[in-house]
This record gives sequence, C-alpha cells and structure tokens, in this order.
Amino acid sequence: MGGQDNDAAGDAAFRDEIRSWLAANLTGEFAALVGKGGPGREHEFVPERIAWERRLGEGRWIGIGWPQQDGGRELSWQQQVIFHEEYARAGAPARVGHIGEQLLGPTLLMCGTPQQRARFLPGILTGTELWCQGYSEPEAGSDLAAVKTRAVLREGQWHIHGQKVWTSLAQFSDWCFVLARTDPGEQRHRGLSYLLVPMDQPGVDVRPIVQLTGTSEFNEVFFDDARAAEADVVGAPGDGWRVAMSTLAVERGVSTFGQQQGFAREFEAVLAQARANGGIADPDLAARLVDAWIGLRVLRYTAQATLGVPAGTTPGTEANIVKLLWAPWHQRLGELAVDVLGAAGTEVGPDYDLSDAQRLFLYTRSDTIYGGSNEIQRNVIAERLLGLPRG
Amino acid sequence: MEFTDSPDQAALREVVRDFLGRHVTPERVRAAAAEPGGYDAALWMRLSGELGLTALPVPEALGGAGAGFAEVAVVLEETGRVLAPVPYLSGAVAATLLACGEPDAARQFLPGLADGTAKAALALDGEVTLEDGTVSGTARNVADGAAADVLLVRAVDTLVAVRAADADVEAVGTLDQTRPRANVTFRASPAITVAVPADLAQDLLRTALAVEAVGAADHCLAATVAYLKERVQFGRPIGQFQALKHRCADLAVEVESARATARAAVWTAVHDPGSLAVVGPLAKRHCADVFMHVTAEMIQLHGGIGFTWEHEAHLYFKRAKSTQLTAGTPAQLRRLVGERAGLI
Repeated sequence: MGGQDNDAAGDAAFRDEIRSWLAANLTGEFAALVGKGGPGREHEFVPERIAWERRLGEGRWIGIGWPQQDGGRELSWQQQVIFHEEYARAGAPARVGHIGEQLLGPTLLMCGTPQQRARFLPGILTGTELWCQGYSEPEAGSDLAAVKTRAVLREGQWHIHGQKVWTSLAQFSDWCFVLARTDPGEQRHRGLSYLLVPMDQPGVDVRPIVQLTGTSEFNEVFFDDARAAEADVVGAPGDGWRVAMSTLAVERGVSTFGQQQGFAREFEAVLAQARANGGIADPDLAARLVDAWIGLRVLRYTAQATLGVPAGTTPGTEANIVKLLWAPWHQRLGELAVDVLGAAGTEVGPDYDLSDAQRLFLYTRSDTIYGGSNEIQRNVIAERLLGLPRG
Repeated sequence: MEFTDSPDQAALREVVRDFLGRHVTPERVRAAAAEPGGYDAALWMRLSGELGLTALPVPEALGGAGAGFAEVAVVLEETGRVLAPVPYLSGAVAATLLACGEPDAARQFLPGLADGTAKAALALDGEVTLEDGTVSGTARNVADGAAADVLLVRAVDTLVAVRAADADVEAVGTLDQTRPRANVTFRASPAITVAVPADLAQDLLRTALAVEAVGAADHCLAATVAYLKERVQFGRPIGQFQALKHRCADLAVEVESARATARAAVWTAVHDPGSLAVVGPLAKRHCADVFMHVTAEMIQLHGGIGFTWEHEAHLYFKRAKSTQLTAGTPAQLRRLVGERAGLI
C-alpha cells in the first residue's frame, strides 16, 4: 500500500531519514509502545506516550509542515504524507500531541499574534504542552454555533462558565482552546471568542465518559469560574467563529495517509483471522474481504487525488469526501472482523476485556459521528461542492 | 502516481469536450443506432480527420501522433460524458495494443486506424481456438463489431488480428442502444500474430471502460444536480430537500472515488503495466458500479420525466448496465481481483 515506489529522489531520502530515526528511537523504554493507543485504545500508556511526544519534539518531527520562522521544517505536502505513512508503518504509538499540532498550531499560525505564537508554538513543537479542544457541548453537537459556555472579561481576566463534552485527552492536557460566548447580546455565530484556557486550575473539572466500548477516550469538562488571561484570546473578541473555521478551511487531511496504513494493518489482521479459522472458505466472507481490500485501494487513490491539490484551488470539500469514504469503510471492516470470528466473536474476557476485532467493531461506530457526522459532511458537499440550495 | 492532467492533456480535454458538447446530442446518439454499423459516420470522420483523435495512440512512424494511452484516456472520459456514438474506445484500445505488439501487425493495421479509415473491435471473451495460423470459434456481443474492419481476437492466451472480411459478423439487438454489438464467427479465418498477452488486452479494455464510465457518471450527476436546482415543488427548488441533497452528496463522493480509481488505472497501464492485472479489473468493477448507481439515482431524482423514452437518463442507465456486464461482471471481477491480489 505504501507509495515508496513512486517517491522523487529527495522524497526517497526523506523516507529513509524518518525510517532510520524511528528505528533508532522506537527502542528501549519506547519499544513497548509499538501499536499502542490507536482507535479504541486512546487511554492506554498515556504517560509513556507523553514521553514519546517529547522524543518526537527532540527529533523535530512535530509541526514539520510549519514555517521555519515558527520552528517548523516547512516540508512539502508529499513529505508530510511520507512522515505519516512511515510513522504508521513503524507502528509508532498514537499521538497525544496531535490536537495541539494539527488544530491549535495552524490556528495560531493563521490568526495568532506574534506574542501568542512565541508563547504557545514552542510547547507544541517540543511536546511539553498538550492541548484539548473545547468545542462540542451537550446542546451544541453538529450545531456548533449553539454553544452556551460563556466568558466575561473582568479585571484583566476571562471568567468562564459552562460545559464541554467529547473532549479527547482532557485529563492529560495542559491547555484547552475553548469556543465561548463573550457577547451575550449576540446570537449564533456572532459574539463567540476563541480562548486559551489552562486546565490546571480550581475552576476546571474533568470527568471521563464511559463509552460503549467500556473504556474512556472522551471526557466532559466543566468550567465553574475558570480563568484565562485577557491576552489569551485568538483573533478579536467576538470573532471566535471565524477563527475556529479558518483551521478547518486549511485542513488538508495529511494525517489520513498514516491512518490508512493503520487500516491496512487492521485489514491484514482480519484476513489472517479468516485464514486461520477457515472463515475465508465462506463465499460471503470471502466476498466481503475482497470488497474491503478494493475499498481501501479506492480510498487511497481518492485521498491522493483529492488531498494532493493545493489549498485554495478547489471548493475545499476534499476532506469531507475522504471522510465519507473512510468512516463507513472502517465500520464495515469492524463488522467483518467480528463476523469472521463467528460465535466466538461474542465472548469477552474478564472486566469486559475486548479483542481487537471486538474493539474495532464497537469503536468504529464513532467514526461516522465525530469530526462532523456523516450527515453534516453530506450537507457540506451538497451545498459547497454541488451548489445545492440551503434548506 | 499522477491524478491531474498535464497542461497538454488539459488542453486536449478542453478541445474534445467543447467539440463533443457542441456536436453530440441525445438525439444524435439515438439516431446513430439506426445507421449502418450503428455509429455516426460523419462524427467519426471529424473526430479522426479534423481532431486527429484516432492518431493519438499510434506511433508517428506509422502515421500517428505518437501520444499514448494517457491521452486516449482523456478522450475516453469525454466521449463517455456524451455517449459519443463512435467506435472510439474499441479502436483506441486496439491501436494501443497493436502499437506494443508484433511490428508486422502494427504496420498492417495502424496507419488505417490512425487516420480513421479503418475501425477495430475487440473480441476477447469468445471461445476461439488457434490452429495453423487460423482461428475458429465464436465471440458473442463484440462491441463495435459490425463497424470493424479488423478484430483483435483472444485465442487462448494470446492476441491475434483477423480481418473482418475473413469472419462472419452479425449485428445483434442490444439493451444498450448506445453501443452496437455483433456476434462474430471465425471459420479457419487467417490470423495475424499480435503477440500481446490476452489478459493484458482485457485489462486495458477494462481500464478504458472504467475511464469512460467516469465521464458518463460525472455528466449524470451534474445533470441531476442541475435539475434539482430548477425543479420546483412545494414552492421551492427540490434541491433544498435534505433527503435529495444527501443522495447527491453520496453520488459526488462515489464519482470522485471513481475518477481517482480510473486515473490510477490509467497511470498503472502507462507506467506499471505489470500491476494492471489487479488495478484494471478493480477500476472497471468500481467505476461501473458507481456509474450504475448514479444512473439509477438519476432516473429516481428526475421523477416521472426520468422514466420516459424522450429523456436521456435511460441511455446512460442502459450503457451503465452494459459496461457492468461486459469484460467481466462485478462478481467475476471481485473474484479475479481477490485471486490476483492473493487474498483468496
């Protein structure tokens, strides 16, 4: 599945560089992390993965696409793809710093002040400050503009009240970027601000959500007079919606290529299981296995064809298209994984300890919900790409 | 892997799309079915003579333009878009194969295929045997068979060329009236060695069908979206209704995935033909399925008008089915991909 056969000369050298670095560093204390922390296992080995994040920072493997003046390497899109492919191929652990690197960092690069970039980007680049995202609320899921969390500026500080939900890694994060209503007189997209809030303070309470997998990757975060410095607002107060959306507009989905390496590994495991237990002799299972393999190829071609074009030259719906392909594909793979096991797929270990197949089956129900549900993705494609009128 | 047109390819695409958009209408597609050979002879002369499209896959030394299959694929996406009633796909695939086969066969047939004075068809699914330089047997449902002057025939695992004059060609009625077909019988017909693996020929044909399906599916989606914007019911354009918007969004995702897959297959055919054994059938399976789905939705989303003979939707719907069922059905291609990729 890898694209290494088609690398240009400079890219091939880069692939060798990241490969050797991973081989040299994913050893010793980090050797046990191979394959850890993936979907359905985000709660595993967190302290070790935080240490690994810092090792990545020492290797300057964080923010590799960022401008050099902001501490990045300014690598090409193709080389960023190669990094993600090789990272996944090596089985390096799921990142804990990706929210800062992929969401907050680009937001600060686009909308932050020089002081904000100088204060916050180094912590992301060195893996020493972890971030979580404070967008969704109990009554603001797909309808993000309905956020009710409010913030008031008093005596040089933002005072924050409200509740966020589905906050990944909140219990391990140092900071949260919070979309809060700062102008109570305004409605919907207006009057929101993008605040940077420290997590380690009395007004912040994190409570894990137990998911249908029995594990907890997500949290609720309660703000009860939590504080943020007056200067820690990105963009102008009241302009938070534009700031939050600007990140989405430049998201090129580069990490999807690493994700696809993970999908390929999961597929291989399902195929190996079907061969081991004879399930592959069942024509229906065999057909579904081949369809899954074909689907993964189609997904890869589509990601290469759509995400590889420069931002700003297209309607900007490429990431939506790719998400609508991979999320249902991943769900079908999860269903196939347990169907291949047959009745044995219904047994679990003590304390609801799930097999990889069961975890895949259950966790993938979230794929079509988080990051914009499939229904929201379809709205975006219908309106922005096809130009169909809003209802 | 390259998914976007080079500047030259983009220019070619624009010229071809513009020309076909002006000259090919659904009425003309329908009318061509009743013509001798089932194609539009006037359109064919302009595409070959004026635009030189038939010369693309032919080496310059043999009267061609010395381009390649990537350029042929640009044309195929556009002929597919309008269901151009000409035997371009069969001829261009045949010429591509002849150009990489035995020089004698190439010298004999390519100059005529290059300037459009000769037409070709591909008989790759028949029960045909090769003995003492002749072929015998029958190939059924050969696309563009009645118009062909030369047939490229699968004889067990190799490819031979047979003059249509040396075979019995009988046009057959077709569910898909946009692509004429014929049954061809060979009785010790003289065969000229092409020496290209028959499987490679079949996979190149599948790639061409995939590309053509993408152009057609793209048109069907665009026409459907345009209709949803103008058709008013309940006092509003029906394109406002989420039930319909979501279906179009799903189709858009499918068409994008088909376009990417077809272009991957074209790249593979040109740069990595050894891998076409997997990617060719994979692309044809995926793109034909997408084409089929888009056309079925086109009829549904147009409502009653989409069910009429007058509307163009059924032309595409029927072409989609004939694309799906020839050169390997979806089930056959799934098995083939599974076996060739070592999965089953």
